[in-house]
Amino acid sequence: MQLLLNALIAGSFAALLASGLSLVYGVLGIFNMALGQLALVGGLTTWWLVSILSLPLPLAIAGGILITALTTWFGFEFFVAPYYRRHRFLPLVTTIAFSMILDGLILVIFHQEPKTIDVGTRTLLPVFDALISSQQIVLIVLTILFLALLTWVLVKTAFGRRIRATVQHPTAAESLGIRSSLLHRIVFIVSGVLAGFAGIYVGIDQNLTPTIGFAITIKAYAAIIAGGKDSMKGTILCAYLIALLEQLSIGLPWFGSYIPSGYQSTVALLVIILVLLIKPQGLFGSKTRIA
Amino acid sequence: MKKALSLLSLIFALSACGAKTETIRIGYIGPLTGDAVSYGVDTLNGAKIAVDEVNAAGGVNGVKVELIAEDSKCNGADSASATQKLVNVDKVVAIIGGQCSSETLAAAPIAEAGKVVVISPISSSPDITTAGDYIFRVYPSDALKGKALAAYFLKANFTKVAIISENTDFCQGIRSSVKKDLPPGVKIVFDENVDPGTKDYRTLMTRLKDIDFDVFITNGQSDATVAEMAKQLRALGMKQQMVGTDTADSATLGQIAKEAVEGLKPLSVPMLSEADVAAADFAKTFRDRHGEPKATMFFAALAHDATRVLLQEIGKAGSGEALKDALYAVKDFTGIAGTFHFDANGDVVGIPLAMKEFVNGMLRQSEIIPVE
Repeated sequence: MQLLLNALIAGSFAALLASGLSLVYGVLGIFNMALGQLALVGGLTTWWLVSILSLPLPLAIAGGILITALTTWFGFEFFVAPYYRRHRFLPLVTTIAFSMILDGLILVIFHQEPKTIDVGTRTLLPVFDALISSQQIVLIVLTILFLALLTWVLVKTAFGRRIRATVQHPTAAESLGIRSSLLHRIVFIVSGVLAGFAGIYVGIDQNLTPTIGFAITIKAYAAIIAGGKDSMKGTILCAYLIALLEQLSIGLPWFGSYIPSGYQSTVALLVIILVLLIKPQGLFGSKTRIA
Repeated sequence: MKKALSLLSLIFALSACGAKTETIRIGYIGPLTGDAVSYGVDTLNGAKIAVDEVNAAGGVNGVKVELIAEDSKCNGADSASATQKLVNVDKVVAIIGGQCSSETLAAAPIAEAGKVVVISPISSSPDITTAGDYIFRVYPSDALKGKALAAYFLKANFTKVAIISENTDFCQGIRSSVKKDLPPGVKIVFDENVDPGTKDYRTLMTRLKDIDFDVFITNGQSDATVAEMAKQLRALGMKQQMVGTDTADSATLGQIAKEAVEGLKPLSVPMLSEADVAAADFAKTFRDRHGEPKATMFFAALAHDATRVLLQEIGKAGSGEALKDALYAVKDFTGIAGTFHFDANGDVVGIPLAMKEFVNGMLRQSEIIPVE
């Protein structure tokens, strides 16, 4: 039971990042390599608003998200918009440049010490035979609600229909009066906001060091590749699945003995490779892009 | 084109100027970014103060000293390239550094080949003892920590030890030292290794919860990871005593892990005794210039002393083999951190260990453990 809860905690974080990644890939057809850094921007600015300006937490989170959204918007205008229509691999390079610039700025502004967003003392609640802190429950529930809302918007609303139309045929969609460039902008910023939430998530649950940016981007990539690059639901499910695999691989005895914990992520990634061998488009992927 | 050419010649002229100014160059390597940054910042600032003191007093034999700092990110690969640069490009006389043990161990063969003396302020892995003739350190080896912990376990009547170690040279050094000196009747009931930088210990803690243990060793490479071990252990309701190593000896740890590290006992070097006039002076200079230390003032003091003893001997012996021999011959150098000399392996003699404890989020010294 505890392992399941652990997987929920770790998976929610990966799901937040991966869903943003998947959304941008699904709609714009590009990969954003600066996502981990955007998560740091969200986490660290929130930390700053809470610890230095001593704002109440909800206000700080709103502020942190706003700054992340602005940073993402800036990133889109300068590092993505001019290039992504020419070739879809160009932004791969430009967003790496963006991530390095952000890395540098984060180091200069926030220095290097690990930081944690202070949310007061943790109360531990027993769930069956497991323990979870009240903050973790809030984090998990909010994440799932948030992701559910996002999926609902995409699938059920007129706005979502417009996005999907743009994906299927940008020119046709434009001719019907859908402003695809505006939609792209919005989608990109939403992915940054998701990353910002992910950063706040780690900041509250664990701690933030300026160098984790790239490492957390990789986690999200594992989820999106296993889930199918273009299926957001698949990506989200896989984020949780990978987290669960990581927990199960070392948390339970296999054939009488435990796998050394150093192999935690190796085991999970091996499983992904096996999945891809059997189903190259990912667990939930389809052969064409449909967002 | 003309403009570009004249600019180019200007750059050449300037660089020629740079080469002409006579300074004694010494290098610094340490983690200036990343999880272990607290140790890097403190030791670099300590070394800077030492260099400034010497320069203010006229330099070494009238020649100014220049400190070139490189970020080696607490890992061997970055340290190796930093050392290459310092030895082959900057042509430094000696290097203060390697803070993380991985850094010092990776720097050792390169420095050894270039006959450049390395003095590590705070690396503690037992392997450094035999890393090379040119490799010195002013920090007690972890080989001594196993013995100190063994004595502590016996005294506190702990017989079942749990340990989680990061897979780095420093942490593995501690781990093997603990295993080697385990007293009879005490056994290790949980022994897991994790990738460097791991922050998610929940699975391991879930397993640990079902195991009967008396004491947990937070064998992480940095305060950032030790914080997560402590937080996630306490989050599952385990109340056992925690013992840390030098990496838990950090003021930052108290701030980021809060009540989770309450009562945690880091086994490390002593606190800087500010009753001592020289130490109080140094601490004041440090605080005036750099604020509170990120880890401990003692680390800064060790880096300061390493730099001072190095510059003193450069003044007498110059560089290369002569400098190395001079350092082995040093008799009782009185620094800020203590009075010490080096043994035949370049290990320090005279800096003791100490057990500390987090009380109300602050580090308190509980006892000094002399080492032979």
